Amino acid sequence: MTGKEITISPNTRIEGHGKVTIILDDSGNVADALFYATEIRGFEYFLKGMEADRLPFIISRICGVCSTAHIMASVEAIESIYETETTETAKKLRELLLMGQIINNHSLVCYFLTLPDFWFPLEEDSSKRNIFQIMRERPDIGRKAIALRSFGARILDVIGKREVHILSVIPGGVVYPLKGREREELLKEAENAYAITIEALEMGKELFEKNWADFKKAGDYRTHYMALTKSGAMDFYSGKVRVINAEGEIVSDLGPADYMDHVEEKISSWTYAKFAYLKSLGWPQGIVQVGPTARMNVNRKATTEVADREMQEFKNKYGSPAHATILLDYARLIDLMYAVEKARELLQSDELTRTDTRVKVEPKSGKGVGVVEAPRGTLAHEYVLDNNGRLEQLKLMIPTQINNQAINLNVKDAATEFIHNGEIKPGLLNRIEMITRAYDPCIKCATRQTGERLRVEIKDNRGRLVTVL
Amino acid sequence: MNAGEALLEILSSDFEIVYSPTFIDLKEIPNVDLAIVEGGVRTKEDERLIREVRAKCRTLVALGLCATHGGITSLGNIISLKNLMEKEYSLIDTTKLPELEDLMYPVCNFVDVDYYIPGCPPMPFLIIHTLKSIVSGKQPLRHQTVVCTECHRKIVPAKLDRLYGIYEKAVDPELCLVSQGFVCLGSLTREGCGAPCPRAGFTCFGCRGPPDSMMYRSRDMYAFLVKVIASRTSIPEDTIKEELYRNPFVFHTFIFSSFERAKARERVI
Repeated sequence: MTGKEITISPNTRIEGHGKVTIILDDSGNVADALFYATEIRGFEYFLKGMEADRLPFIISRICGVCSTAHIMASVEAIESIYETETTETAKKLRELLLMGQIINNHSLVCYFLTLPDFWFPLEEDSSKRNIFQIMRERPDIGRKAIALRSFGARILDVIGKREVHILSVIPGGVVYPLKGREREELLKEAENAYAITIEALEMGKELFEKNWADFKKAGDYRTHYMALTKSGAMDFYSGKVRVINAEGEIVSDLGPADYMDHVEEKISSWTYAKFAYLKSLGWPQGIVQVGPTARMNVNRKATTEVADREMQEFKNKYGSPAHATILLDYARLIDLMYAVEKARELLQSDELTRTDTRVKVEPKSGKGVGVVEAPRGTLAHEYVLDNNGRLEQLKLMIPTQINNQAINLNVKDAATEFIHNGEIKPGLLNRIEMITRAYDPCIKCATRQTGERLRVEIKDNRGRLVTVL
Repeated sequence: MNAGEALLEILSSDFEIVYSPTFIDLKEIPNVDLAIVEGGVRTKEDERLIREVRAKCRTLVALGLCATHGGITSLGNIISLKNLMEKEYSLIDTTKLPELEDLMYPVCNFVDVDYYIPGCPPMPFLIIHTLKSIVSGKQPLRHQTVVCTECHRKIVPAKLDRLYGIYEKAVDPELCLVSQGFVCLGSLTREGCGAPCPRAGFTCFGCRGPPDSMMYRSRDMYAFLVKVIASRTSIPEDTIKEELYRNPFVFHTFIFSSFERAKARERVI
């Protein structure tokens, strides 16, 4: 088995689709690895001319999974053009909605997508390695997963007025104040979600330990990291974008307005997803990662009790900055804990039901940027509006696009760790998939596209297809 | 996923999920009783895949507006493929990537679809209802008329002199949004969602696509909307036309593909 190409397709248990090709040299060792995105949609083009009012609703359709984060970034970009500062109450409601988004997404990823990798032995029959099998064995876990995800969806439904593609967040604030009764109901659900997440964290940590030894050297490429931070504490909704280097030193703190000037994108011949990097450092030195591990690496603390404790434990065990890709799965649980605690904390305060949720906006033309932490990392929208309040230019900086090169490098690194002399061990391909899965890549957003796929093909060194796995 | 407990119930009784790239590691599509597809067709690879799915299932359900009608993703048809490739992807080596179709299409343009469930996204209860009906051998309840029939708001002829943007003024909780001067597409959009948007005080965007009456008879949707607004606001038709035509995105936001509508006859849920 020499001079082969291994292609994993479709990459399963990720949101959207992708494909991985691993190229082996003549002695059967890894020469290169590529992570593909294979389709395009062209949102940047067809949104031109759209009036600003409608923009957040349409742009959220880039992706149903992170629609709330897109709406939030979109509305903030428009508000920065309008020079509008919304009320404290509206900011709290928006932060709560964003926590709903994180809970909704992370509970899906943690339970439904990645848990099966840790639950079953790595060599398990692939037809069994899924959440439905876990639900058959342990219905209680299935019920908890659904309850946790439903809590996220409830927040979006009650405050956002729809579970997916929320309606109530608009330039100037949030349309409807939260009613006292609604707050009480949500708070009750928050207490339940808190108990479930504490349990999930314990279970997750225990299961994680089982695979750690195998994965600690698979995909530990050292890059820069980037996340929103507020005085060193993790924050999803506001703050500055902090960039640190692989040694953990702060490289820069960027306000939303400067952010877009500091990241650049490039294209490659073999994928429709673009690559983003730090402009000042150039390519490839400026490769940077965002997402759960980046949030742990960039921040010193968390403002909620359990998440802070877990963050310190994480840093003590795995170092800061931590580099191994698989730690994303662990860090995502801490994110989830933070989101549940933060949602509960926000709901505990009477202030949340104040009725001053909206300020009047005065449409203006100009350029503005909105930045939030989406589930997969730092998300930014930049718009230029013309004198009629229509969109003239649009630039989106999407987490998966920022992580794109790191995913490629780490897939290659992991493949090198796992494949020797062309020998394909049982469960091997799933191990490589676990590396891409850890990033929870959203290729839809990265290419503003629909339906890409991941497949594994084995080709000989002349590019002829030998096998599809 | 948002169906919550109903999902657990349905999984434990009548259904076994055997193939799903999002949840299950199986790489090859097996033969199945029922297949649910999401998303439209943009590449030759998508086309090959949808034909394979059709060949391997007895009943095919298209879920979500992209799959049923083209949806938001079909707005990409505004820019030609040639233009897009030149502008954005001049370096792309197309031999390594699936070739793109000239346009983005809904799945029914390539294969026969048994049930269409439009919506962006479709409501969980619609999906659960449809699946349960199919399994018990019953025809799922079809929603043939418009969102207004599910909306609690009172339609009253108002006296206005112009249309309003969605956030230009506070929304009256009881009154029809069109009567208040907002461009709500409820009167042109298929019911079945329960009208969550107008109920919450937001205009309907048309995410369930057109109702039966708009799909099969050649009615001019623009002219119809102008008449609806005129009758509920007393604004002169010419003024309404001017405002609507000025904005290319008021309408068709969700239905911009060469959707083969005749094939969908009596199959839209």
